[in-house]
Amino acid sequence: MLEISELQRDYITEILNISMGSAASVLSEMVNEAVSLSIPEIDFLPRCDAAHKFDQINTVKMSGVTQRMSGAISGDALLIFPEEKTLTIVRALLGDTVPVESLTEMEQEAMCEIGNIILNSVVSSVADILKREIVSSLPHFIKGTGKEVFSVESNNHDDLVMFLKVDFGLESQSINGYVTLMLNVDSLHDFLSQLDAQINAI
Amino acid sequence: MLSDISDINSGMAESAASTSDHLLGQVLDQSENGLFLVDTHRRIVLWNEWMVQASSISRDGAIGHPFTEIFPSLRGKRIESVINAALDTRTASLLSRSLNKAIFPLYFSETGDEKQRIEQSVIVKPIQSDGHDYCLIQITDVTPMVQREGVLRVLAKEAEEAQKAAEDVSRFKSEFTSTVSHELRTPLTSIRGSLGLISSGVMGKLKPEVAKLVDIACNNTERLLFLINDILDIDKIESGKMDFVMGPVDLMVVLRQSLEANQPYGEQYQIQYVLKKIIGDLKVYADTGRLMQVLNNLLSNAAKFSPEGAEVEICVLQNDSMIRIEVKDHGAGIPLQFQSRIFEKFSQADASDTRKVGGTGLGLSISKAIMEKMGGAIGFNTVEGKGTTFYIDICVIDQV
Repeated sequence: MLEISELQRDYITEILNISMGSAASVLSEMVNEAVSLSIPEIDFLPRCDAAHKFDQINTVKMSGVTQRMSGAISGDALLIFPEEKTLTIVRALLGDTVPVESLTEMEQEAMCEIGNIILNSVVSSVADILKREIVSSLPHFIKGTGKEVFSVESNNHDDLVMFLKVDFGLESQSINGYVTLMLNVDSLHDFLSQLDAQINAI
Repeated sequence: MLSDISDINSGMAESAASTSDHLLGQVLDQSENGLFLVDTHRRIVLWNEWMVQASSISRDGAIGHPFTEIFPSLRGKRIESVINAALDTRTASLLSRSLNKAIFPLYFSETGDEKQRIEQSVIVKPIQSDGHDYCLIQITDVTPMVQREGVLRVLAKEAEEAQKAAEDVSRFKSEFTSTVSHELRTPLTSIRGSLGLISSGVMGKLKPEVAKLVDIACNNTERLLFLINDILDIDKIESGKMDFVMGPVDLMVVLRQSLEANQPYGEQYQIQYVLKKIIGDLKVYADTGRLMQVLNNLLSNAAKFSPEGAEVEICVLQNDSMIRIEVKDHGAGIPLQFQSRIFEKFSQADASDTRKVGGTGLGLSISKAIMEKMGGAIGFNTVEGKGTTFYIDICVIDQV
């Protein structure tokens, strides 16, 4: 596991939470209901450990949203929740929904939009820290076990994963989900040195 | 690039700069999606035929004009901020129909007097060409999907309500049965008590014809009580409220008690219970009262369905940790078509039999539930015309 200093961790957390705040206000405005988003935990893990962590966290099915990133960093950005939580989030936000056991086509599309808003916020915060551009693709809905959604096919085992715990707060409850971002070693070093430069400039 | 794009647009109408531009223009115009392109000045630089039809704004009316001038109602809305994000930070976005009701004021063109708004799903993507940034907005008509899900919603809600109604009826039925049965049992018990006293002669010797009538009344009261107790048992089983006090039970003691208790009943049908095969003293894991209830049911059934003068044979067999008690009659056997329903509630092979042999048709259903609750099993082997062997299997604790 990559060691980052407390200061670095605090700084990243702070920046990400600011952008989560604006993502939450976009969502709140859209659904006309109080939505809060926060990131209480950050880890940097090798890719295979991150997949394992998902399985440990939850052996039940996960579902969520993925986007491809290219530019300063390339790889996938993921937002995932235990599958039934996705149902809770979408149905709480949409209000009137179809009472069936899995998300309908349109509910999946709504989940994609929610994921898109959250992932775009995280990706743009990282791009801001890097001071470089990251282009992200359109979101796709995914589901499967931790290992399946977090495909471990990558040949590059040096890849690291920025692993964020996300608290998705709705009026009546708080739901835990996860955001992961692929970082190759070069971009990670870049990321940390830019981070230090910004911390020192404070 | 801007001039190229303008060429594509003008190519749709008149002379094209090149064949490929003309072709591209045709492709865009044939698209079943709304497509338009915005440049960094937020001006519209491409506007396909779908957009012309749905917005009633001509290509000339749109191209070159700021996006917010064409759609003033969208100023400051989420769509404007995602277009800005695509142009400023090259971020792609999705605006779902569910979270953004009818984003653009776009309408179906062939809907008579009343304009019907098109339900939309919108994607916004950054595009770069020759060093220029653009934002592509693609609109998909999801009206059919919205209608489909509307129907699905109605059907799902109806199904939910129907299920709830069915559950209410079932609960009501169960509560009703339980209440009525309890209410019936109390007066019936006192009727039985009173008839018992009269029949025993405590109140004075009865004339033979009166005694006969009182006996009929006694027997029928008894039958009614059995029926009510069975109904209450079924109710308890179905609501999961049947209590079991499980523990080690002396099997042979219970079996002998049950045989003794059923002896008068057997005599009534003129049959003889015969203990053919027994094993030593054994303890099984069961609830004494409930095990006795099952044995009584099997023994009385065997008597009811035996021909007069026949024997009912009882065997106790052991196979490792399981004990099997068999009750064999020499009756008519169970017809093939009835065998699969034998353990169902209110089932007797021949409905006309109910009157002839008595019983509620609940006994075997109750016995099966009891055996399963005690971790055992119940079953039968039958040969039409020769007889039936019912058996129960139950776990041994140890050999005493």
